[in-house]
Amino acid sequence: MTRKVTWAPPRRARRSDLVVEEVGGETLVYDLERHRAHCLSATAAWVWRHCDGKSTAAELARRLSRKTGREVGEDVVGVALHRLARARLLDGAAPAAEGRTLASRRELLRKAALIGGLSVLSIAAPSAGQAATCITRAACEALVNGNPTCAGQPCCDVAGKFCRSQGCGQTCCCHV
Amino acid sequence: MEKLDRLGWADGLNVVAYGVRIGVRTNRPEVLERVAALLPPGSRPAAGPVSDRIVSVLVGGPDPGRNVRRFHLLYSDALMLARTHDLEEALGRLADHLQLYVAEAAPRRVFVHAGVVGWRGRAIVLPGVSYSGKSTLVAALVAAGATYYSDEYAVLDGRGRVHPFPRALQSRAHGGTRSIDPEALGGAGTDPLPVRLVAALRYSPRARWRPRRLTAGAGVLEMLAHAVPARGRPREVLATLRRVASVAPVITGGRAEAAEAAQRLLATLDGAEGVTR
Repeated sequence: MTRKVTWAPPRRARRSDLVVEEVGGETLVYDLERHRAHCLSATAAWVWRHCDGKSTAAELARRLSRKTGREVGEDVVGVALHRLARARLLDGAAPAAEGRTLASRRELLRKAALIGGLSVLSIAAPSAGQAATCITRAACEALVNGNPTCAGQPCCDVAGKFCRSQGCGQTCCCHV
Repeated sequence: MEKLDRLGWADGLNVVAYGVRIGVRTNRPEVLERVAALLPPGSRPAAGPVSDRIVSVLVGGPDPGRNVRRFHLLYSDALMLARTHDLEEALGRLADHLQLYVAEAAPRRVFVHAGVVGWRGRAIVLPGVSYSGKSTLVAALVAAGATYYSDEYAVLDGRGRVHPFPRALQSRAHGGTRSIDPEALGGAGTDPLPVRLVAALRYSPRARWRPRRLTAGAGVLEMLAHAVPARGRPREVLATLRRVASVAPVITGGRAEAAEAAQRLLATLDGAEGVTR
């Protein structure tokens, strides 16, 4: 089985507005612009660091093969680039599809696993309110609208809703 | 703020909690005693009159001369936070606001929404959203011999140690909430402890005990999702959480009965029980 992938032309790793830390061989990246945090596996981080705006996926694959001592295909690097682009960790617009084909997903995962995986985990960093303990709807509605206190605390008695100011009247309200 | 300052303030107090200086003032001295009971745990009188934030409690109620009922008003600096006829509600919002403000603004501390207990000189941190069963699990761990540190925030320092945040444990049952004083739990811990296990567990009545160990990086993301100053001080938060995850395994999964989970967690911490990766 084959599938089409979004292929990547040479890209440059984004460097601005990021906080980068390393832990246990993984790389943590905090995006100060979008308030998203990412955890890159060692291989994904290597690909990210070597995105210089000149090297193609094929060139990166050759260098990665030399580094790991295992054959790494262009398709594997292409997937890493795609994930990095999706996490907005590469400069420029999202890569355009070139319609190349790729081996099966299982085959790709097997290849990726041999070089330590290509995972790029991402989460949205919570606002202070979102990370706080929940408040009741009555408590939320006692807050005057338009102040930082109704900034997204989870509502205890209304599942999936948060104490917000948008779409409410004079007071905050529990909103999706 | 000047307009607010001109109002007749009868009494006030200045405290410092986790390095954050808070001033509270009110037009009714008799309310101040109740305010004092709502301050964040660890609050102590501040040396000077300078505050990072001034919270004003303007008590309303019936105005016999004009046959009207005035609102109780709560201000944080010049911002009106709450306007209600229910004084309890206003004081409840005051407590929430102070707690969240301290959690967000405390210098050199990272507050993570989590339960915490101490066990043989090491700490177990239980991050999670509200209603994920943190307080119940903390209570079960304390019943199993652990020391109570918090059921609300893990207060982490730059060395990756956790400090106590010993507010009353909130036990939810039968649709209500019961506050249990830390003294009734055998007293809260006082010294900072190194974190040696982070367990992001979610209560599910039919869950089997099969926790999965996260990689250190994924563990940092798990804690970051509950970190109050994540957006405000990401550099410091990431560095602190990285320090914790580099020495403490982070496990995740479902748990059923709190008593069983507590025993399993203590066994895991003691190295008697393994966790799958």
